Amino acid sequence: MEQKQILEEIDPEIMDRLATRREAIKKGAGASAAVMAGLKMASVPIALAVLTKDVFGQAPTVVIDALNFALTLEHLESEFYKAALGTATGTGAAAQNAAFAPVRTQVNANAKAKATLEQISQHEIAHVNFLTTTIQSLGGTPVSFTPASFDFTGGNGNGNGPFLTATTDVNVLLQAAQVFEDTGVRAYKGQAGNLMSRNEILEAALRIHSVEARHAAQIRRLRGVKSWITGNRSDITNLPAATLAAIQLSYNGEDNKFHAGKDVTGLGANNGGDDAVTAAFDEILTKEAVIFIVKDFIIGTNP
Amino acid sequence: MSDKNQTVVVAHAGQLLEANTRRQFLKAMSVGGSAVFLSGVLASCSDDDDGPTPPGGGTVTLNLGNDTGILNYAYALEQLEAAFYTRVQTGFGTSGLSSAEQAIFTDIKNHEVIHRDAFAVILGGAKIGNLTPNFSAVNFSDRTSILTTARTFEDLGVSAYNGAGKYLTSVDNLVVAGKIVSVEARHAAVIRDIINPDGRFFAGNDVVNGQGLDVVNEPSRVLDAARPFITTPIRIGTQPVA
Repeated sequence: MEQKQILEEIDPEIMDRLATRREAIKKGAGASAAVMAGLKMASVPIALAVLTKDVFGQAPTVVIDALNFALTLEHLESEFYKAALGTATGTGAAAQNAAFAPVRTQVNANAKAKATLEQISQHEIAHVNFLTTTIQSLGGTPVSFTPASFDFTGGNGNGNGPFLTATTDVNVLLQAAQVFEDTGVRAYKGQAGNLMSRNEILEAALRIHSVEARHAAQIRRLRGVKSWITGNRSDITNLPAATLAAIQLSYNGEDNKFHAGKDVTGLGANNGGDDAVTAAFDEILTKEAVIFIVKDFIIGTNP
Repeated sequence: MSDKNQTVVVAHAGQLLEANTRRQFLKAMSVGGSAVFLSGVLASCSDDDDGPTPPGGGTVTLNLGNDTGILNYAYALEQLEAAFYTRVQTGFGTSGLSSAEQAIFTDIKNHEVIHRDAFAVILGGAKIGNLTPNFSAVNFSDRTSILTTARTFEDLGVSAYNGAGKYLTSVDNLVVAGKIVSVEARHAAVIRDIINPDGRFFAGNDVVNGQGLDVVNEPSRVLDAARPFITTPIRIGTQPVA
């Protein structure tokens, strides 16, 4: 087409930068400042201008970093549940599946627990896939892991960490799952602010965040404890003191009663007191705090 | 991911005065969209029209074009939930709920009242008035009716917060909304597990899609679903701005 040839002479790469109309509408494309400047040449029709990829090309670094952080946690959770269910694949899969064989017998004997772990696993796999493709579509490089990347005993690769009994005792498996899920909720919550420049990304992250909260609630229910977090209690006991201290990191700050600068302590009067006030809100965790919590599950991590 | 609607619908004359509508026109036109005028819009304009007639007394209008409006939207939903669970608690004796279930409902009621009252504190003088609920469709002496309504409200609340987050401009407000929505999701999971303890329904395929994403709804959809339970007329004035 004659028009196309003319454009290519002006800018050989322009045809690569023109998105399809469907892509443009889907991503809410509008004319960027750069495009508007180009319009002064008067040779580029407005219809073409709004279809350039300028406006939805590479996302800000802060967005991609936040998504890769989330993707790291999703890989951790996904491989954890696969190992527990014996469905891990890829490098190191056989060892992970084998490590969790003892506890899997107990899982298989508990139909509800097994169904719950399967449903959660299905979601975590979907989250990994979703975040991976999203980061790619934003022009970023998604992090990737294999089963061999993780030490689910929490020993940073020595296989003898504080959660070793998660591989042999279903109660400890569920305790670990609870900590992963409660921590994941707080981690996503802490990143929401970093995604505000991209509405559709923020919305997707919120929709993942609420799913993780459903997971956390259900794991707690299976364990026979409340589905919400009271004060800063993990509601996990019967583990060595050092392990409980490590777990507590995921719950510190959950007793906060200040929201949008207001002290809401009084709202609990005749309405469940501090227990209810603290349980009514889940709190954020910063990326740094989360990395410190999960570092010993990801082999070779030194924050 | 949400799709941007490229058809601008003008349902009432008042929209023609809203900056947001004009903005949407331009956006829609630039990508080949269209505008639809529902019948009566142009007919309602007379030669010396001063503008749309304000709604009748008692109507609550949510102007969703700023954070205050979005928080008021959340406040409205929390009012509804708080009223529902308070009513359930009042009728525990004839509800058919087990002791364990009553303990859960008590916790949830406490949370919703606290959510409601927290928004009232945060919004201060900018808060909307008290909404009168309409629970005539709920049988508070029937455990199934109670549980079904609870599930509806919790999933709806989750979808509302998930859809509203993108409209908030202050990160502080986004964080508050975020702190609440995950608790609503915990509520939803527990209620669903009580209804169907198969180990999957807590986050079933009817609310979590193939990408692992939870339900999401725009404010207009949420209000359409909530209106049957609210006697007070409630409408959206200004549309939210993404």
